[in-house]
Amino acid sequence: MYRLALNMLFGDRAKLAMLLCGLAFSALLMAQQSSVFFGIMSWTYTPMVNIRAQVWVSDPMVEQVNDAKPLRDTDLGRVRSVDGVAWAAPLHTSFVQARMQDGNFKLITLVGIDADTFAGAPAVLTQGRIEDLRLPDTVIVDEWGAALMGRMTVGPDGKPRSTPLKVGDTFEVNDIQARIVGICKVKRAFTGGPFVYTTYDRAKGYTLGARRTLSFMLVEPQKGVTPAELCDRIERDTGLKAWTSDTVIWSWGERSLARNTFWWFWTNTGIPFSFGTAVLLGLFVGIAISGQTFYSFVLENLKYFAAIKAMGAGMGVIARMLFVQAFTAGLIGFGLGAGMAQGIGRAMIEKGMPPFVMYPQILWATFVLVLGISFVSAIIGIIKVSRVDAASVFRG
Amino acid sequence: MSTLAHTIAVRASGVDMFFGTPENQVVALQQADFEARRGELIMLVGPSGCGKTTLLSVIAGTLTPQAGTVEVFGQRLDGLGQEELTAFRRKHLGFVFQSFNLIPTLTVIENVMVPLLIQGRPFDEAHARSLAIIEKVGLKGREDGRPNALSGGQQQRVAIARALVHEPPLLICDEPTSALDKDTGGHIMELVRDLSRSPERCVVVVSHDHRIFRFADRIAEMEDGRISRVVDDPKLLDSTHL
Ligand SMILES: Nc1ncnc2c1ncn2[C@@H]1O[C@H](COP(=O)(O)OP(=O)(O)OP(=O)(O)O)[C@@H](O)[C@H]1O
Ligand SMILES: [Mg+2]
Repeated sequence: MYRLALNMLFGDRAKLAMLLCGLAFSALLMAQQSSVFFGIMSWTYTPMVNIRAQVWVSDPMVEQVNDAKPLRDTDLGRVRSVDGVAWAAPLHTSFVQARMQDGNFKLITLVGIDADTFAGAPAVLTQGRIEDLRLPDTVIVDEWGAALMGRMTVGPDGKPRSTPLKVGDTFEVNDIQARIVGICKVKRAFTGGPFVYTTYDRAKGYTLGARRTLSFMLVEPQKGVTPAELCDRIERDTGLKAWTSDTVIWSWGERSLARNTFWWFWTNTGIPFSFGTAVLLGLFVGIAISGQTFYSFVLENLKYFAAIKAMGAGMGVIARMLFVQAFTAGLIGFGLGAGMAQGIGRAMIEKGMPPFVMYPQILWATFVLVLGISFVSAIIGIIKVSRVDAASVFRG
Repeated sequence: MSTLAHTIAVRASGVDMFFGTPENQVVALQQADFEARRGELIMLVGPSGCGKTTLLSVIAGTLTPQAGTVEVFGQRLDGLGQEELTAFRRKHLGFVFQSFNLIPTLTVIENVMVPLLIQGRPFDEAHARSLAIIEKVGLKGREDGRPNALSGGQQQRVAIARALVHEPPLLICDEPTSALDKDTGGHIMELVRDLSRSPERCVVVVSHDHRIFRFADRIAEMEDGRISRVVDDPKLLDSTHL
């Protein structure tokens, strides 16, 4: 009978197409919006991806990576003396104004890294060498930032356009010259503009006036010591806060700075709310369109369901037929919608805008919600059919 | 006495059926008594609104009367719950409707398979048995088409195949020919009569259509919710009405 139920569904191409459109559209909306949401949220812990170190140490009051509370330079020595520390390097991050050659000001994220170890240096340089940072007044700018900070000129067609900064170009930070010796590739951030890397000591110069410049300490454990163990020891011995640098936001470990940052943004900003609204909208649109279409499918077949009832099919059989129909449509609709979301996502990842991270969890959740929509549709249909009187088959 | 009990297929006695609210009551059946014998084709005739369809529904177990008893092939229907009535219909009944009620999105053979599949028969067995009966009603070769591609008479043949595929003892037809022209209606009635000629079967046909009265073994006339007369020789009725 379930085979016939499916044939009934597939026999009405127009209805089926509309049903699948509704389901696919809501699956697309839910999966796509969630993926953009997690994409944007992944920007919040960008420093954890760009600045690579096993353990981060911060002021005890720090809650997330974008909000550094400066440490004393002497803290570095205290951390270095903790048992199990292989090395510890200073890290400076701050937002400063850069004055471009054309006189414009741009807000940049200044990253000062240890000139001896280059701990926290960008992973990929497309131009130049990291060692050139040891030369006087030098900086490395990220690719996207180089374009953003580019010089505005008037093109041959009369339209203004921006020429990206390149190696050899200069700008000023607090009246101190910064000469570009390299271009790097880094992940974009939620807060903060272009990333400008320099040495820790020179960063102090660029931020003259700042009393303390030590934002974080990057620490490497000795062989045989896990990052989590080392975090415990550092916190016990120094009273500072120590974090691991893993960026898996789905696990429950307390120590991940990335995950704490993620949840900080989750609870302290309106981002989850606005995206949650979009996902809910997808759900309601799905229930409305699919529920409505499935309902009209049931209405159209009502007299046949009544005839089947009269011929001796119990409500159990009919309910299962409707479930088979609704869930089959749900499965196909989910496949179409998730496939489209993935296609759009691939295009987005290539452009980098908007950010797009489709976790398997998103697909699972979308799957469950689409089946939920099917379930609701089936229930509405079952209620309708259960109300129809088997005796009505003789009328009309 | 025992031989008589043996010959009775359907017996309804003292059946009352009202519709609507107590203030606004429609009496459909009032102390209706009806009997059908095994191996016969009995017709239920009468003016519109006299209660023919209602009586048929009561016999079929799709309506439960307010009073009276109904017995079909030895099975008492009064006192049965909805589920038992459903099971009773599944096993004992075949239906032919005025408007065919074939599912348009299914093929001819899939429509015919429905009664077997709701009995829980395996798909392949249902397919084979349906194919055989489609052949019997003369629609071999049309089994994989849609019902809408067939003429009215052919569609009613499909409906007859569906009504008989699970070999039910009681076949119930409400106005089976009223959507068909005279010749087609005659052919359909011939088919019903031939397929149902068996001592283990009984056919009850409701009809307005006096052109088919001649296919009946007996004719029960209804008036105002009860059987007013049973005619043993349909030819008599034919002449009085023509
Ligand atoms: N579900 C219902 N609700 C209310 N009244 C009903 C219902 N079914 C039948 N009736 C009424 O009961 C009476 C008998 O109806 P029934 O359909 O049995 O007549 P019929 O003899 O089959 O008529 P026709 O030849 O027009 O089909 C009619 O007055 C009808 O209006
Ligand atoms: Mg009627």
